[in-house]
Amino acid sequence: MLQYVAIVLIMLGLYGLLTQRNIIKIIVSLNILEIGVNLFIVSVGFVDGGLAPIFTSTYNSSVDFSFVDPLPQALVLTAIVIGVGTTALGLALAKNIYQKYGTFEIDEMGEE
Amino acid sequence: MSAILLIVVPLLAAFISILFKKASPYILLIVSFASVIVLGYIELEVITIGGFASPYGINLVFDQYSLIGLYIVNTLFFLVVAINCVKFKEMSTILLIALAGLNGLLLTGDLFNLFVFIEISGIAAYLITATNKNPLATFNYLVAGTVGSSLYLVGLIILYAMFGTLNMADMANEIAVSGVDASLVAFPFLLMFIGLGVEAKLLPFNSWVKGILASSNKLTGPIIASVYAATIGFVVGRLLTSVFVFSDTLGLVITIILLASIIAGEAMAFSSNKVREILLFSSIAQAGLVVLVFLQGFIGWGVFLVVANAAGKFILFTVTNHASDELGTDEVNDLKGLFVNNKIVGLAFTVASLSAIGLPVFLGFVVKMNILGDLFAEGNLFIPAVILITSVVEGIYFVRLLIKLWYKEHDLPVVQYDFIIKYVVVILAILIMVFGVYTAPIETEANDLDLISFVEGGNL
Amino acid sequence: MKNFLALLLTLFLGYMIIASLSNNEAFPKYGEADVSSRVSQRYIDRNVTENPGEVLYGEATNLESGSANTIAAIVTDYRSFDTLGEVTVLTVSALGVALLLGGAKQSRIELNFKPNFMLRVGSRALFGIILMTGMYISIHGHLTPGGGFPGGSMIASSLLLLYLADDEFRANIKGVKVIQSVAGSAYVIAGLLGLFIGTYFLENLLDTAVLGDLFSAGMIPIIYVLIGFKVGSEISRIIDNFLTEESV
Repeated sequence: MLQYVAIVLIMLGLYGLLTQRNIIKIIVSLNILEIGVNLFIVSVGFVDGGLAPIFTSTYNSSVDFSFVDPLPQALVLTAIVIGVGTTALGLALAKNIYQKYGTFEIDEMGEE
Repeated sequence: MSAILLIVVPLLAAFISILFKKASPYILLIVSFASVIVLGYIELEVITIGGFASPYGINLVFDQYSLIGLYIVNTLFFLVVAINCVKFKEMSTILLIALAGLNGLLLTGDLFNLFVFIEISGIAAYLITATNKNPLATFNYLVAGTVGSSLYLVGLIILYAMFGTLNMADMANEIAVSGVDASLVAFPFLLMFIGLGVEAKLLPFNSWVKGILASSNKLTGPIIASVYAATIGFVVGRLLTSVFVFSDTLGLVITIILLASIIAGEAMAFSSNKVREILLFSSIAQAGLVVLVFLQGFIGWGVFLVVANAAGKFILFTVTNHASDELGTDEVNDLKGLFVNNKIVGLAFTVASLSAIGLPVFLGFVVKMNILGDLFAEGNLFIPAVILITSVVEGIYFVRLLIKLWYKEHDLPVVQYDFIIKYVVVILAILIMVFGVYTAPIETEANDLDLISFVEGGNL
Repeated sequence: MKNFLALLLTLFLGYMIIASLSNNEAFPKYGEADVSSRVSQRYIDRNVTENPGEVLYGEATNLESGSANTIAAIVTDYRSFDTLGEVTVLTVSALGVALLLGGAKQSRIELNFKPNFMLRVGSRALFGIILMTGMYISIHGHLTPGGGFPGGSMIASSLLLLYLADDEFRANIKGVKVIQSVAGSAYVIAGLLGLFIGTYFLENLLDTAVLGDLFSAGMIPIIYVLIGFKVGSEISRIIDNFLTEESV
């Protein structure tokens, strides 16, 4: 189920990127796309009834348990941070664009 | 000495140079020069990081293939820096990080680590292109690059879910062992290929290139069209020949798209009147050709095609962008007679463009001839035909450009080339000629590279 | 029309992804991932280099990666090189934001409202608590969920609070730069120590002690604290750049 949500989010982001002509809305679409990708990554490691892969004192007594896959969670951490970096950069560029053209609408910027 | 220093030292230098703004151009110059020199002293090996053997830890593959890539990328990078470090002082730290990212891309043997390095070098590239003063084009590049790397990541995660590994060699191995149908892995590989195709300037995904390179300056032109293009060429080459498995239908579809990319690039270059546009469309076509050659499995000559392109485009973009920076225009008609007073630079430009066409005596000829020969030997007639026809088109527009740049009686444009630019382009041009005549070492090297089997840990 | 085409294209792509995934018998269904067939099983069992037997909380000693939190073990030990790259991405984007948004001698962008006395004092009190929590999370990254990245973002968010609640506040950007540079360099140097004293880059040189202790896991808490500082300083610098402008 979660995987379908993730794919829908990815497609929503792509749709936004294809149709929107406003710089800020494009950045928002990019973020939706990234969230979809991140959700997809986490969903790939999920095991039904699995526990967070952290050892605590309660695990010593219980025998029958399984951890979810920790690797996708580690990967998603990297992906999130990279997403933060690109978003910050995109916003800074948006500010530059606004200073140059006085608008966020790509159509109103005209030919250079 | 370990090859990991090629990544780590520029990184450390970058972190330190945040505090020492004044010294950072010198740090950049020293580090990039040292990276070239140090390459001769490193032994070929697979480097394990953190003491965890692959596929559990990340490894770096320093083999013959990455050695050639590192040589060409680090040398060209150093030359770009040598020409530009005075003018673009504020970019020093970012260029250091870009160098670390590019070396990482060439070395890494892990698919997720490759994604991280794509992002490092990508973000550095967005910032380097910000010096074009065209924020909208940079923004388009950022969006395209981010979507591309997200698609790459989705493809990679699907593969991880199927085979449970992230290491390149281990992934190729698992796919071979598990014996899954090629159509099952076609989709994730297609996603990853599209993701890399954005950076590699392949046809439907390259809308960003025009904005970036058409307004490029002396720094961004050579760096994006030559250094980055070479790096991504090597990366795509390694993945296409060693990791990716394409089913026949998908391979055919991609081949057709690549051929269309080549034809469209050459056609647009033919119809353009601006020097930078001609060069950028020509480099789109060349990128398509590089990927096509790797897709056909010719590693050795693919590598030298990348090398020949990188050296040629370096000269072409440095010469034109210096002129257009000075004159504020890159219309062919405004640059008429540019080389009348700059004969040395003009000769280097001529050598580079003739090599790009593939005329004899130049490196480009050797490479193109051998690729065509290999294709004919495989009984493939369609692809060589397209390559030959596009070469003719390329010949027409380059010769037309050269004639305009060489001949004019009066009103010559006044452009002074620095001493250092002259030296750099002339040396590169001489190298292109030398290896165009003295082909023996390239041929042996190319044949050696064809034998590498990455699955077994490179050609160590 | 264009929007409709885009809609069709995305629907088609989405259908393609779902269809190709559900027809793919090698792709595990949601919730049925087989961890034991993946590389991560060896991370959970901590037996990449040697087999420690059963891993028990509070008893297992000298594991190859002694962090109770397996994700922390992957992020800062097994795949630490990725994390170094990740920190670099943050650095380069913070530098980029600074480069794009202009040079020195900046002053604060004026807020739309005048913050009153209560708001200023209250936010300063909260600032300390958020900062402490951020530090706590960074330091306990090897035992509990969290670690350097969320901890660092919390540190930065405490600064953001001050920026928003006080229209004259500015962080000491020189100091932030020093942290940015020193924490990053220290991470690389920690890796290089592994290369020169031990054999491998980013090798865990310290004793990993008992699983679950605060002072355990060798280099992991140290690196996580460095990451916390690094992330905190990078994001603070980004915040500062967005909330300041060139003084007229």
